[in-house]
Amino acid sequence: MNLKFKNKKITGILTILPKKVRTFEDDMANYNFPEKKSLRLKKVMGYNTHRIAEPGQCSSDFCIHGLQYLFDHQLLDKDSIDALILVTQSPDYYMPATSNLIQGHFNMKHDMICLDINQGCAGFEIGLIQAFMLLDQEAINKVVLLNADVLSPKVSIHDRNSYPLAGDAAAITIVEKSNDAKDIFAAVKMDGTGAKALIIPAGGFRTPCTPETAIEHEDEAGNLRSLNHLTMQGDDVFNFVQREVPPMIHDLLERADMTSDDIDWYMFHQPNKFMLNKLADAIGVPYEKMPSNIVENFGNASGVTVPTCISYNLGEKLEQETYKMCLAGFGIGLTWSAILMEIGHLNFNKIIEY
Amino acid sequence: MEELKKKLEDILEVESVNAEDVLEDFDYWDSLAILSIISMASESYKKTFKAADIRECKTIGDLCKLILD
Repeated sequence: MNLKFKNKKITGILTILPKKVRTFEDDMANYNFPEKKSLRLKKVMGYNTHRIAEPGQCSSDFCIHGLQYLFDHQLLDKDSIDALILVTQSPDYYMPATSNLIQGHFNMKHDMICLDINQGCAGFEIGLIQAFMLLDQEAINKVVLLNADVLSPKVSIHDRNSYPLAGDAAAITIVEKSNDAKDIFAAVKMDGTGAKALIIPAGGFRTPCTPETAIEHEDEAGNLRSLNHLTMQGDDVFNFVQREVPPMIHDLLERADMTSDDIDWYMFHQPNKFMLNKLADAIGVPYEKMPSNIVENFGNASGVTVPTCISYNLGEKLEQETYKMCLAGFGIGLTWSAILMEIGHLNFNKIIEY
Repeated sequence: MEELKKKLEDILEVESVNAEDVLEDFDYWDSLAILSIISMASESYKKTFKAADIRECKTIGDLCKLILD
């Protein structure tokens, strides 16, 4: 589905990371594989360190810490927020919505909308698209997009398929109306027939957690996980991304009357270096324009990886400069989405720890 | 066939492979090798495989037949 937006801009990005650093070597002893094989995986996939939340730290805690930071530093006025969107797959509770909890924590004005969205790998793009749609309303001038995921407690430490890239994080993106912004081109596609390629089988209403669902089983590759843990069909996800994402990017560029060279930065979701380099090859983009260093430093915090990639690789430079960016997310859902827009001269673009 | 064997040697990090070599016997035969083969087959041979397709192969010969047929 092709979408287009006018007169909207991003005015700030703050990424919030857990303080705790785990290394691939820390984790390796938990895997059921010879060290030699695991070290090869580390090298090819680009795994190294990742950030893991302390037990008890939830998605809302990271969002609240970041919002408090912005209020304290006069970077955001609490009363100016007309909408609070939270994209997460790790809400504090089934009910109520975590965005309502955050609104309540700060005693924000009643005249606003809070919205939780269940999306993962494409969560930044889906959240931005929702923010742009809300900003079409006269009454809405400023949207705060929260991306937060603390999924590490749902990943088996014995799963070499998923644990090396597990990462927790949150990001706050401010989206506002603008009179001088260039048109924004977006695309989104979904394929629910692949919905179970990435899944936590137990813990919802369909299959509640029981002592049986907590028992770990070994898969054909030698990983151990239970039904309470996240599981990923790596081959299906890889094939889907390589098949669907390059044509989506090419179509989007064509619609915007641009070539791949016109884009300064390709800020993509960060599953691993291997997959990102294959994507860059398929799209025809030099690796320097598509940073792939988020998993190796922080892990893959689903929808938070794209803002983390922007904060980490551009930092304060994005407060002085403006770049043409192609954002893309792809994975759970299956959902894939991309956005072409200018981002720059931000009020803030940085990483803090919690 | 020779070109494919060379690619498999690179993936498995060995000097040479022969049709009768058993995949399970290679030091680096694991899920990463399987993903690398899926990726290589897609790039160089425009074929899409699932991990289960690759796991059904017992030998280098089976693998070559799967990819080239």
